[in-house]
Amino acid sequence: MNKMKWFKLFLLFILCFVLQTTVGDWLKIFDVGPDFVIIMIVAIAIKYGPATGCFWGFFAGFMQDIYAPVEWLGAHTIAMTVLGFVVGQLEERFLTLNLPAKTAVLAIGFFVCDMIYFLLTGLEKDVVTSLFFSKTVPECLYTVVVGAVVFHLSSGKMKRRV
Amino acid sequence: MLRAFRFVVELFTQRHGIVAFVFFLLVGLLMRQAPNTVKQNVVSSILGSILYPAQMAMSSLDAYRSVVAENEQLKQENARLRQETYYASEGLQELTRLHALVRFDDKWGFPIVTARVVGHNPGRFLTTMVINRGTHHGVHENMPVFSMNGLVGKVTKASYGYARVQLLVDPNLKLSVMERRTRVVGFLESVDGLMLSAMVPTHAGVKVGDTLITSGLGGIFPKGIPVGTVKTVRQADLDVMRQMYVEPFQEFSTLEEVFVMEKEPDWIIQEMLDE
Repeated sequence: MNKMKWFKLFLLFILCFVLQTTVGDWLKIFDVGPDFVIIMIVAIAIKYGPATGCFWGFFAGFMQDIYAPVEWLGAHTIAMTVLGFVVGQLEERFLTLNLPAKTAVLAIGFFVCDMIYFLLTGLEKDVVTSLFFSKTVPECLYTVVVGAVVFHLSSGKMKRRV
Repeated sequence: MLRAFRFVVELFTQRHGIVAFVFFLLVGLLMRQAPNTVKQNVVSSILGSILYPAQMAMSSLDAYRSVVAENEQLKQENARLRQETYYASEGLQELTRLHALVRFDDKWGFPIVTARVVGHNPGRFLTTMVINRGTHHGVHENMPVFSMNGLVGKVTKASYGYARVQLLVDPNLKLSVMERRTRVVGFLESVDGLMLSAMVPTHAGVKVGDTLITSGLGGIFPKGIPVGTVKTVRQADLDVMRQMYVEPFQEFSTLEEVFVMEKEPDWIIQEMLDE
């Protein structure tokens, strides 16, 4: 990957975070909003592979950890690194994924990422169950819908280039 | 320099990224194991140097976007205010009523700084907010922060032009509260970053719907700031104690403006904090 691509990914990363903390609020329905950061990590991992996926997963997770309670520092980082690496195994260079497959990868990735996060924070089982149904499931559905739109738009752009 | 960069990139991309994965995973695990003081230092430096300027820029863009609508609104308001100058006495009465309504009275005897929320943590658990007032405006660490509805949290980090506010739902924030009817005192804390809970003696007779206020015992929050209502009460592990879940008066995700009370911690608490 050349320097220009790295620069573009860096800009995308910054944009994504700023969107998540500001515009993300406008899209909230009943306090449930899409997770742009996970969409970005999955998209990057699928396009550029596991090394790039876990690199950006690490930094995205770290940025989220900055604002989380101090005693949980590292939980997002590890969860996002694993997400980037695992999803990166489905790199486009070796495997072509259509839109439903990418969306399914996003949904599974979201659940896996959340489960790792809950595991690392050491929350009680009751709390995790409650959070799973009140936060993880609705946010996953919302993120999948937004992610499908993003994947569709990006694939359209790619086709036009071809 | 370029060679070294290429070497690192090639090393990390070897074996389909497994080297990079193991490296980043180890760094993550090290972060999990680090002492809280180290974690706090890392968080503070990153927050102040990178995230706050970015959020501030985005917030400014947002403000610019709404400037036309705001201008129109201000014109209307200006016309309304011109009319109101002819009714000064009615205006004064209205001001007194509004003061009482938003609890702007001198109940606590401390100056108040009004601040706008310009950012918050991007994670799933809302525990921190950034406000556009800092030491330049008289805001310092450990000052109480509240809204028109009730207590919001306290200032944990104050820089020249902005400050970070630790919300009530942050598991690291624990405060002494008092039930308004029974006057029983308990410790309020967040169990999971979402819900607030407090333990009180069974004999106190705290019921669902009771109101909690700050007790003033911690030395940071003055007595009497509304905190929330008791949502559920259940038996704690000990028979003599009851655990109550508390719904805060203020919904933190919709918070736009807050008030910082310019109250320094009591001297004994200040000494302990300094130590």
